[in-house]
Amino acid sequence: MTPSALRICAAALGIFLSASVVARPVSYTGGWTLIQTANRASTSGLLHYSVSHNFSVGMRHEWQRDDDVTLTVIQPTWLAKRWFGHNYQANVYLTGGLGTATDRSAANLGSDTTSFIGVMTDWETRTLFVSYEARFLEQGKLGNHSMHAARFGWAPYTGDTGELHTWLMLEVDHRKHFDNKTAVTPLLRFFKGAALFEAGYNITDSSPVINFTYRF
Amino acid sequence: MKKILLILSAALISVPGAADDNATMMPHHAGGDMAHGEMNHDHSAQHEHAINDANNSAMMSAPALTKTDEISAALANGGAPVVVDVLGVVCDFCAVAMNKIFGKRDEVSALYVDLNKKTLSLVVHKGASLSDQDIEILAKKAGYRIAAIRRDAAAMGG
Repeated sequence: MTPSALRICAAALGIFLSASVVARPVSYTGGWTLIQTANRASTSGLLHYSVSHNFSVGMRHEWQRDDDVTLTVIQPTWLAKRWFGHNYQANVYLTGGLGTATDRSAANLGSDTTSFIGVMTDWETRTLFVSYEARFLEQGKLGNHSMHAARFGWAPYTGDTGELHTWLMLEVDHRKHFDNKTAVTPLLRFFKGAALFEAGYNITDSSPVINFTYRF
Repeated sequence: MKKILLILSAALISVPGAADDNATMMPHHAGGDMAHGEMNHDHSAQHEHAINDANNSAMMSAPALTKTDEISAALANGGAPVVVDVLGVVCDFCAVAMNKIFGKRDEVSALYVDLNKKTLSLVVHKGASLSDQDIEILAKKAGYRIAAIRRDAAAMGG
């Protein structure tokens, strides 16, 4: 691991350890969740099963469009800590992945073992949302990547159970291997029942963001 | 790869209380509105009166059962009302989780998660029982923590 990668890991773990605070990558016991994301860096799908209220195991497939590399990994996620309040919830999740990365570009560098570690933290009320996540990805001969992102959200109204919940959000992400290392994405989140949909536009890299989560 | 695993292991080991997340789940007095008779604590009579007074006062303003068509029908069939104050209920995913977990139980004839009141309203089938401990365990499976449980008249806001 390079010194810069170690620094990123240290920063991510530092935030984790200081218990500051994303989404809900672990569901209720016995629950399945489908998470699809598409942003300036990648398009991915994750299907996970929550073995317990604080641990899920899933299968992730991800296409890193810039490098034209695909990953297929097994991804466990652990809800390390949840804080409960009458008006808030805060979470710290640790995640990781192990699988195969395959170069799909003209360079045809073949496949290699890939692994990643990540931390996700969030704090949420009915009208405010703050989150942070970081991931370090090691792909052997296909290169290493790191990212971290913070998000702030505000709900203009509080919907009751089963109603449409709407959030205005702003995400700032940092990807060292991109020309525009830091980028800003305003987005809208729509949330109803077991389905969550997000649509945004990365104004730094002029690319759309489409995310979808469904629990069943 | 070895370095990654090493860092991850070190982080897991060094997180205070991480391994027993939610282990101490039910702060019976949290919110001050748990019906006192449901506790097994050994209080003096004077203390008991003071607590009961506080609880009675709290129950006066505690959220009552949320009535949906399904809940009203279950009550009409002789079901017993239960209101559970739930901590950390902030979004529809929370409601989905509790609906899935509690909805599987045969004892439960109707339920509704009220995000505004932050309560889980249950109706237990006539003749069936669902203990506080059962509710606590089910809430934990859903990923949440309970602050208080009210039954019968207290659940109806009485």
